[in-house]
Amino acid sequence: MMGRRPTALHPNPWENGGLRLEGAAKQAMETGRNRLLITGFLFAVGFLMVGLRLVEVSLFQEGTESRLAGPPPTATFQMERGDIVDRNGVLLATSLATASLYADPARVLDAKDAARRLVQVLPELSKAEVLAKLQAKRRFVWLRRNLTPRQQYAVNRLGIPGLYFRREERRVYPHGRLVAHLVGFTGVDNNGLAGIERYFDDALRGGTTPLTLSLDIRIQHILHAELSRAMTEYEALGAAGLVLDASTGEVLAMVSLPDFDPNQPGAAGDEARFNRGTLGVYEMGSTFKIFTVAMALDAGTATLDNGYDATEPIRIARFTIRDFKPQRRWLSVPEIFMYSSNIGAAKMALDVGTTGQQEFLERLGFLRPARIELPEVGTPIAPSPWREINTMTIAFGYGLAISPLQLANGTAAIVNGGVLHRPTLLKRRPDEPVPGTQVISPRTSEKMRRLLRLVVLEGTGKNAAAPGYLVGGKTGTAEKMGAGAYLEKALLSSFVGAFPMTDPRYVVLALLDEPHGNERTFGYATGGWVAAPVVGRVIERIAPLVGVAPVDEDSPELREAFYVNLDARGRNLASF
Amino acid sequence: MRTVGGFVRPPGLSLAGKLWRLNWMFVLLICLIGAIGFAMQYSVAKGVLEPWVMHQMTRFAIGFVVMLTVALIDVRLWLRYAYPCYFAALGLLAAVELVGSGAMGAQRWISFGYFSMQPSELMKIALVLSLARYFHGVSPDDVGRPGYLIVPLAMVAVPVALVLRQPDLGTAVVLAVAGGAILFLAGLRLWMFAGVLVAGLASIPVTWQFLHAYQKQRIMAFLNPESDPLGAGYHILQSQIALGSGGVFGRGFMQGSQSQLDFLPETQTDFIFTTLAEELGIVGGLVLMGLYLLVLIYGFMVSFSSHNQFGRLVGMGVTTIFFLHVFINIAMVMGLIPVVGVPLPLISYGGTAMVALLFGLGLLMSVDIHRGVRIGRRGAAKPPW
Repeated sequence: MMGRRPTALHPNPWENGGLRLEGAAKQAMETGRNRLLITGFLFAVGFLMVGLRLVEVSLFQEGTESRLAGPPPTATFQMERGDIVDRNGVLLATSLATASLYADPARVLDAKDAARRLVQVLPELSKAEVLAKLQAKRRFVWLRRNLTPRQQYAVNRLGIPGLYFRREERRVYPHGRLVAHLVGFTGVDNNGLAGIERYFDDALRGGTTPLTLSLDIRIQHILHAELSRAMTEYEALGAAGLVLDASTGEVLAMVSLPDFDPNQPGAAGDEARFNRGTLGVYEMGSTFKIFTVAMALDAGTATLDNGYDATEPIRIARFTIRDFKPQRRWLSVPEIFMYSSNIGAAKMALDVGTTGQQEFLERLGFLRPARIELPEVGTPIAPSPWREINTMTIAFGYGLAISPLQLANGTAAIVNGGVLHRPTLLKRRPDEPVPGTQVISPRTSEKMRRLLRLVVLEGTGKNAAAPGYLVGGKTGTAEKMGAGAYLEKALLSSFVGAFPMTDPRYVVLALLDEPHGNERTFGYATGGWVAAPVVGRVIERIAPLVGVAPVDEDSPELREAFYVNLDARGRNLASF
Repeated sequence: MRTVGGFVRPPGLSLAGKLWRLNWMFVLLICLIGAIGFAMQYSVAKGVLEPWVMHQMTRFAIGFVVMLTVALIDVRLWLRYAYPCYFAALGLLAAVELVGSGAMGAQRWISFGYFSMQPSELMKIALVLSLARYFHGVSPDDVGRPGYLIVPLAMVAVPVALVLRQPDLGTAVVLAVAGGAILFLAGLRLWMFAGVLVAGLASIPVTWQFLHAYQKQRIMAFLNPESDPLGAGYHILQSQIALGSGGVFGRGFMQGSQSQLDFLPETQTDFIFTTLAEELGIVGGLVLMGLYLLVLIYGFMVSFSSHNQFGRLVGMGVTTIFFLHVFINIAMVMGLIPVVGVPLPLISYGGTAMVALLFGLGLLMSVDIHRGVRIGRRGAAKPPW
């Protein structure tokens, strides 16, 4: 139809009033009309297509973001020393290529002029020293290690003959002091001098794949921030803290304060470089009652229903064992734990006996250095000979000094169903079976969880409560040993906790060295007042990160689960 | 003028009569779309009026006055001045080549001191006018003769070549397709069309050589956006994520994360539909498309009921331009066609495009008002006054 050639001469095909509207003219008109309709139809199809596509894209298209996940490809350089990363791949230590400046004095033409000009661009060098080096009779002298590119450019521009650069690597710690004690540092020749850098020195040399630690930098940051705050607030000498995975022994965070910048380890003193978490060993005080009570419950010499008389202090040899807040009455085992009675704990330990206690502490690994991937590990200080009086004092945490890592790891075994794992700084593969030894029965572990929860609900650890996360734990306040006597005013205040107590996943420890009470703590500097709040806040902040959801702590099921009969003789006190 | 077949001379030759015949519902529709544009500009500016929303409003106001003025001017006057308009636009387009200024690596602007403009936008309307003028003067008999094809083809080809040189692929496509549509509507023989089409397809490998690297990249990215998700395919992927995140009712006005957080490129201009669909959902997107559809239906009806060839072709030409903008823009942000820079009518930020488009819609209304006017083949020579 449209192919036919219109022959009529009509200006306006739409016009139908003309007399000549015949044949071909009509054709032309129809053609125009048809084509208009076709165009309109095509528009309609286009619109329909776009509309349908809009519905499709909006409703039925999966998000495509995940396809972009994964690190963007970057150029990789072969370095002499492998990177160290945290469990999520965050860089903790890496190597940067730098240039170091050296000279061949025999080729330096004018040493005086060279020294003068060099000092101009590298003002930190001493002119006399540079001159002495350039006039030396050797063929190789280091002038300056690890120049920045800008400095290298400036030296190059001087155009002094006889000066050369050697490509070197410099270790860089992007997170600085945050992980200083764990990652450690290297010397000027890139050999590991401390921490992971030293322990895995051989593996890191020429390592191409990064070493993945168990550490989570986010948790490390939170622990570091909270401990720093407490240390400042209570004017403590130092602090240590740990977050441990209770079921694998992986260290998620470990902080020792004061700390140092691993990028400039030389600037720090010994005190700052000292890792209180593993190298320091301390008499922990009352937190040790966790192990005393667990030992007695597991041995069967005590149950949650019986108790001990704590009316009178115990006098033995030249010592007197008394309670911090004496109740002066018979106390049930839960009460002994809750009120942290030294007298009760000592009597419980005596019932188990010295040998039993030694064996138990040996099983927990408290009598030998902790096994962890750090060179800085302290050896516990155990009494020798181990007399009955030692058994009694160790029961409440005096006379045996262990590292905070050991305390946290032992606590993990007590709450996780009784299995002791070897603590580790390396990330475990999810499918990897975790070796462990049963140190107490699961039943005892379950009882201990009730008791630890009781301390936070009713006892000395109320300040550690993080609502919804079912925190349990034990306070500790130890007097530090000074010149042959315990100092009443120099305390080591700590709190070791775990959450959620229904099935503990993480152990959190906070320890403050010589804190001072302030108005907010009513002058107290005990573990319950200064360390427990740190643990509470840390748990509050890390629980969302590690995927622990808050629960309603007042629900009947949870009240039931943590119910403890405080007084076997009829005085019932629910643990809420 | 003759008054034949029951059609009287339109009474609209008086101003009051013309105002009476003006389709005020259509004017309202245009204002509604414009208002959606202001709202979206306000949203992508993150709740700030100055300067984008104010600029947009000013331009719309100017364009609105232009539209009404154009609508009230007798269509025969437009017929008369069609060629001068075309050559003026062509002159400006050529001037861009010489003294134009650029943005984003393309030279599209020409500056007049206080304001700058994009002659390629004017050319869209001027091309419609001049092609309509040409075919109005060609008898249906001659339309089929190849000789009569040379002039209109040149009329399309010259501006397309100039625009391609800027380079502005989107506008070139709009010009070429709109020109082709008018040729089709004018009654060009289909075999000629086929010939042009075949020639066009055959020239693709040659054209490919002349395309800029970024244009080639965009076409490749369109064919497989995931091949380069952070580079050339970025626009399309981000846009699709935004559309998907909008869902049925959207994330709420000014709540679109893709647009508010600047994941989306060019939110004010070419990708503004994505913002709309993310924030107001497909409901919002379909409502806007519905409004556009009403504009197109009006344009179609106007063309259909026009009694002169010039009005018919102008009406349909403007409608085609409008359709192409909507279609190319929306299809582009949804990944149906490659990314080319074509603004969304009345919504995207851009002065010349806005004013030129309103000018075109004014022509459409003028055709509507004067639909009963009969114009001789050389009608332009005899204006009615």
